[in-house]
Amino acid sequence: MNVFEGAACAFLWAQSQAVELDFWTKARWALWLLVGFFGIFPGIVAYMVWLERKVAARFQDRIGPNRVGPFGLLQPIADAIKLITKEDLVPGGADGAVHLAAPVLVITSAFLVMAVIPFAVGLAPVNLPSGLVYLIAASSLSPLGIFLAGWSSRNKYSLIGAMRAVAQLVSYEVPQVLATIPVVLWAGSFSLVSIFDRQVNQGWFVASPPGLLGFVILFIASIAEVNRAPFDLPEAESELIAGYHTEYSGMRFGLFFLAEYLSVFAVSCLATAIFLGGGMPIPFLAFPVNLLGESAWSYVIVDAMLLAVFLVKVLAIVFVVLWVRATLPRMRVDRLMNFSWKYLVPLALVNVLVAAVWYELVIRPGAFDAGRWMMGTAVTGPIVAAACWGVFAINRAHGARAPVSEQWPSVGRIGPGVGGRGVSRRGL
Amino acid sequence: MLRNLFLVISTLGLACALATVLSRNLVRAGLWLVAFFFCVACLFVLLEAEFLAALQVLVYIGAVSILLMFGIMLTRGVQGTDPTSNPSARLAPGLVAGGVLFLLLSYGISRERGLRTQRSWATTGERPAIEPGTEGPSTPRRDAINNMGKALGVELMSRYVIAFELAGLLLTAALVGAIAVAHREEAFEPSSKGAPASSPAAESASVA
Amino acid sequence: MESDIPLDWFLLFAAAAFAIGLIGVLTRKNAIAVLMAIEIMLNAANVNLVAFWRYGPLRPEAGPIPGLVLAVMVLTVAAAEVAVGIGLILLCYRRFKAADVDQYDTLSG
Repeated sequence: MNVFEGAACAFLWAQSQAVELDFWTKARWALWLLVGFFGIFPGIVAYMVWLERKVAARFQDRIGPNRVGPFGLLQPIADAIKLITKEDLVPGGADGAVHLAAPVLVITSAFLVMAVIPFAVGLAPVNLPSGLVYLIAASSLSPLGIFLAGWSSRNKYSLIGAMRAVAQLVSYEVPQVLATIPVVLWAGSFSLVSIFDRQVNQGWFVASPPGLLGFVILFIASIAEVNRAPFDLPEAESELIAGYHTEYSGMRFGLFFLAEYLSVFAVSCLATAIFLGGGMPIPFLAFPVNLLGESAWSYVIVDAMLLAVFLVKVLAIVFVVLWVRATLPRMRVDRLMNFSWKYLVPLALVNVLVAAVWYELVIRPGAFDAGRWMMGTAVTGPIVAAACWGVFAINRAHGARAPVSEQWPSVGRIGPGVGGRGVSRRGL
Repeated sequence: MLRNLFLVISTLGLACALATVLSRNLVRAGLWLVAFFFCVACLFVLLEAEFLAALQVLVYIGAVSILLMFGIMLTRGVQGTDPTSNPSARLAPGLVAGGVLFLLLSYGISRERGLRTQRSWATTGERPAIEPGTEGPSTPRRDAINNMGKALGVELMSRYVIAFELAGLLLTAALVGAIAVAHREEAFEPSSKGAPASSPAAESASVA
Repeated sequence: MESDIPLDWFLLFAAAAFAIGLIGVLTRKNAIAVLMAIEIMLNAANVNLVAFWRYGPLRPEAGPIPGLVLAVMVLTVAAAEVAVGIGLILLCYRRFKAADVDQYDTLSG
């Protein structure tokens, strides 16, 4: 399917008409492409894998990789060499072209998402006026790739994994998108650079009750979007071998692997950029950005600070993702759907309304001041808390009323009055 | 440069559309359809409507094509082959009809004269410029292009608010209708199809 | 020197895509394939709308982006149409055990 790659190139190339296409722009893009997208991001992924193995090992009271290099630091390189040199198997009955196109589509999606993240002032690869929509659109390509991977493998486990994955990804995309609406409302723009600028003036968007709720919803939905535990049903190894990439080996599997970790990195970057104030170290101070002067050195110093803080925040979020993975068991498939449609989507919808209240109370009057912030928190905080409580209470009550049927998957004995309270409850 | 780009994209797009129509395997047809949607999104970018291009990718590739794939999975065999279609008997009349339609349309396009105050379509060689300095510092069209999301939101909430409300009503009706239609009555098969069938509508409601 | 794309190239592309969609609607039997062909035709119409918006004159009473609003409406309707269409096809498949449009002939007496 070279059509996709060609069209993707054409897409990027066509974007160039919107900006001034002089030599320096081209050089900058070539630099981003070569250094960032082929050098740094795969390197980040490699060491995220190392970090995950180390962190998970500590959680499980093990040591983790420690043979190759000091602290096992060369382990990712050894793994990469192993992946590249492995035999590239395609099942006999597989649909060859689609089997190849699927991982390419997934990895393309993961890379395209990174193209609009503003890492620091002037350090966004492309500043699109509709960057957030572009980002969501690019990330919505990956369910298709996963579906094709499962379909083309001609393997029942692959197909079940792919169907699960698509249902899950499409479901969790809704709360993920809805959770970003408050940010767009407050910044008045889809451009991630404008959102960052707005946070320089107004403080981090997470520092408000609707922002906090939006951040939490975005975080949960993003974990589900990138198929991480506890939402890793599409590749649940105890049920489905490896889910949609069962029939992949060698570097094709490596592409899926790369895409998964790159997506984790990308959603962490997204959450950092739109909720956690990008590279700003202190919530309500425009601290490093106001040092920007005319000289090039001030840019270098400020950008270095911003980039360092940005990466620390991203690392913190990645650590939480790993922590969640090491702590929580996998969800059941019906509860997974329930959690998206009955909990996250209503909460996200309420959150949009609360965000409008916050906009009227705090952001529209003008420059940030503490009194208005206190008032806004006092008004919206109880609403957010009540909404969370209400959604959970209604769902619990609804779930308790539903009868337990014979078909319902359950751990303990089933029957009227036999199953314990915690065993046969419907819903979450 | 632009012209070559357009020619490449449109040729790819038409080839993908043709492959969609002629492919025997339904899943592959869906795949070609995705490529066609992508080419159309590229054309939108060439028309400086990048917001619409992103929406196109989001709604069509992210939701509609997935839904079509689900439909294929649930009605065909898993492999998606289409053995009942018999192109040879119907293909010739269909091709003739399509060819005649295209000839008619292209005749109309090339012979259009235009209103009294406008140029005809065939002689409109270039788009109205939006570079600064041609019509003053700020024109509505330039502002709309530079911040299309905002312009679209303002328009939908002011001038086209009735259309917007109707679209919302339509989406709600489609959401409820799709669930009601596709819902299985039998209790022995727990239905999970309501959720995927309804989601694209909800999704486009959230972006619209 | 760069020269701009003429308007009628977009129109011809849209006309060709529309004709291809028509071929699909006429020749395919499978209901989902017909739905795909209809999507092609809707996309062709969208290209036309956006092209006329970008190339044509702007009337002040229509706002800055009339063609785009119309295109977004088409997008919305297409999404709703596919959701309902797939639902209907599933229902017909359950009732007639076939996904081919020429077997849904209960009304033909």
